[in-house]
Amino acid sequence: MANKEILKHTLARLENIVDKCQCSTSVNRKYELNLENGQISLLRTTIDHQYSVTVIKDQKQGSITINKTDEQSVNEAIDKVVEICANSEVDEAYDIAPFQEPKVFVSGDREPNLNKMFDLLQDYVEQVKVNFPTIKLMDTAISFTISTKHLMNSNGVDFTETEGYYDFSSMFAAKEGDKSSSFNYTGYYVKKLEKALLSYGTLKRVLTETTGQIHTKGIPDKFKGDVIITPDCMSMLVFFVVNVYLSNMPLISKTSPLLNKLDEQVASPLFTLHAAPRDERIVKGYQVTNDGFEAQNMTIFDKGVLKNYVLNQYGANKTGLPRSANVGGCYIVDSGATPLEEMIRSCKRGVLVHRISGGNPNNNGDLSVVLKNSYYIEDGEIKYPLNETMITLNLKDALANITEVSKEQVNFGHEIYPYIKVKDVLISGK
Amino acid sequence: MNTNNLKEYLALLTPYTELRVQANSTMSMAFLNGNMISNSQNRNHGVSARVYKNGSWGFASNSVVDDAGIRAALSEAENNARFLDSRLDMRKAIFNPTVGKMEKDFRSTKRSLSQGEIKEFIKLLDNYIASKYPNVMQRYVGIQFLSMEKNLVTSDGVEFYSFIPRTAIPVQLTVVKDGVPVNLHEVFGGLGEAQDFLDNPENFYPKIDKLYQELVNKSEGVMPKAGLCEVILASDIAGILAHEAIGHTTEADLVLGGSIAAEYMNKEVASPLVTLVDFAHTYNGKTLTMPIYMDDEGVVAEDVVIIENGILRNYMHNKESARIFGTEPKGNARAWQFNDEPLIRMRNTAILPGNDKLEDMIASIEDGYFLTKTGNGQADTTSEFTFSVNMGYEIKNGKLGRAIKDSTISGIAFDVLKSVTMVSDEMTWSGAGGMCGKKQPIPVGMGGPSIKCKVNIGGE
Repeated sequence: MANKEILKHTLARLENIVDKCQCSTSVNRKYELNLENGQISLLRTTIDHQYSVTVIKDQKQGSITINKTDEQSVNEAIDKVVEICANSEVDEAYDIAPFQEPKVFVSGDREPNLNKMFDLLQDYVEQVKVNFPTIKLMDTAISFTISTKHLMNSNGVDFTETEGYYDFSSMFAAKEGDKSSSFNYTGYYVKKLEKALLSYGTLKRVLTETTGQIHTKGIPDKFKGDVIITPDCMSMLVFFVVNVYLSNMPLISKTSPLLNKLDEQVASPLFTLHAAPRDERIVKGYQVTNDGFEAQNMTIFDKGVLKNYVLNQYGANKTGLPRSANVGGCYIVDSGATPLEEMIRSCKRGVLVHRISGGNPNNNGDLSVVLKNSYYIEDGEIKYPLNETMITLNLKDALANITEVSKEQVNFGHEIYPYIKVKDVLISGK
Repeated sequence: MNTNNLKEYLALLTPYTELRVQANSTMSMAFLNGNMISNSQNRNHGVSARVYKNGSWGFASNSVVDDAGIRAALSEAENNARFLDSRLDMRKAIFNPTVGKMEKDFRSTKRSLSQGEIKEFIKLLDNYIASKYPNVMQRYVGIQFLSMEKNLVTSDGVEFYSFIPRTAIPVQLTVVKDGVPVNLHEVFGGLGEAQDFLDNPENFYPKIDKLYQELVNKSEGVMPKAGLCEVILASDIAGILAHEAIGHTTEADLVLGGSIAAEYMNKEVASPLVTLVDFAHTYNGKTLTMPIYMDDEGVVAEDVVIIENGILRNYMHNKESARIFGTEPKGNARAWQFNDEPLIRMRNTAILPGNDKLEDMIASIEDGYFLTKTGNGQADTTSEFTFSVNMGYEIKNGKLGRAIKDSTISGIAFDVLKSVTMVSDEMTWSGAGGMCGKKQPIPVGMGGPSIKCKVNIGGE
């Protein structure tokens, strides 16, 4: 059966058995070139199918996902999901998306240019050898993915989304004699391969910095100072903020300190955060949410005012709060007015943080992490790369203590971030 | 039992080729404050082929596992290897052949539980917490089941079938103290299917009681004093130290990529009290959480002694890296899903027990900490590590004192292992093991004794 026929078959078969049903199929084709020991060594091509069905009956819900789309497997999955549903628990919050106009979304290339992928990766290996001789490449890959997803439900929702994109990521360390730097990495998504791999994202900057991170020093004391967070590091901190304060789990269980704070000033007026899966600058976005809604862009913090949580339909029904216009990801932090150079120059004492390592924040947003690939700043100058240095902060306090946002902004294809400066963070050396 | 007879394709496996059919099945169910927040099943089944041609690898996978799907995967993998070979022309020789035929099936012999029976069991645990501990503001109780079923044949003549199930039963409790939420979690379970663990809810009640009591202790706890200090790392943390901070630096792909361990072979990297092993499948006659008898390159799995009495002795390898280092692979090449290529991965990693009694170790510390639980951890190719500490106690004048709040420990793992002065005589394996992230996730086992050493602890 063709993918859309499978969904029509599913809805027809379940029509008189359950109250509500959502089903989807997807086909993903991936072409990936990998390095091993600093050389191209593997071409991997995969074709993956997925069939998912969620049913609701008497306000009980069940879901199943398989990676087959033949008729027998689909029929077995339909029988199984009815059984899972029957063994579920009643929850008035279960629901599916209401009717929306059927739509087809298409973006990106349909086929990869494999020879170009090879040439660009080979060029990257050569460029690194020549320009960054101390760098050792580790897990590095360039891939092209083309995926098509169909989603239908018993309310008449009917969406088709096809997207093609290239993805590059590289992990590396610098090594000189018996000394090595910390490993470092970066990556990005692009629609087309138009330039050398080194010219996208922060790759060249991160390779340059890593080269200079073989000889590191610790800070001898403990102090409260400024933390300048790089665009590469922003991704994890924004994820923490959303996950700990703004998503289904902390809001349903009422553990979020930002519960009941909509339309309140909870962060610095310099901080504006969007979740924008349909922003034209975002390469790897999404048009349709997993719970069957056409996604729209939304602003989470507008000049520090909390405007939206990140709640799907279930989370919204469960909490009585509004459903979000999307389900998060594709985050964009607006750029500010201060050049990075000036942010460093105005820093009396602090650190430039490229990567953090350690545990997740607790429910209150308290976080202690070790700094990796990061620098000590004193009297407006970057002094040296750091080792064994920890920062301790509370995410909510950090949002309120943002003092500067950089003019520069980096587009990683799935997220866009500037540099951000936060004051009064506890920085401890060994 | 083995349901895919791949032997009929042996004649097509040329040049060096691995052909694998694999199904990963998962079941997930969770209750948050009595509300069922997840109830789903997933099965990921497919075929992959990996072909080696003059130093170039071609890999292809297909989720259609019939004759046409298998032949398509083989043909595409060969085309991919040919494409790379035409561009790279490396002219490398083929690997030394590895052979072996075996079946390892850890399917439960007990009656399978229905979805409904599993749900009722998890609800019993949730109800127990809700009724006995009404001040717990957030209860999370769940079950996560994973089975990995693999059929592998290679052009060397390897034939291998395995079915490895793993069940995890996570419980997380949160109380509020002075307006601040404090939580603690534990994951029960291990090698086996749901019916191997969900036999009697009363077996869980004392464990839940202990978890709650520790949570109360923690909620009344103090912040540790930041800085370098003497600690005892219990097996949970010693295990993650062995895996994250030492194990990863000695994976040969990372050694080639600049890991600090490249400089340490046959050198003293730890106290003579430390022997650290990546076990393939068995310890002291007992099957471990993630038993690997043969890896996904068809190599019969053996233990790898990484550090022996403080001296670095071995790295972990796949076939390619073993050839570079002039040694033999020991079964560390593992793939997560059918559509993943094998990578160098750990299996069950632990420091071996010593001769000290835990109570003597505690008694030997004037001012330090006994750290017992970790949430997660990360480490670097320099062996610098950071682990969260979710439970621990002060040690004052040789006695356990107040509990401590959430903290973080960090250090250079090889330096920390050099500071080890006592190793306890007991060995504990983390029940449900963990998931290790590299390019792909993979389930692993971890464990160890308690070790006395020096680390940096975060705090006031």
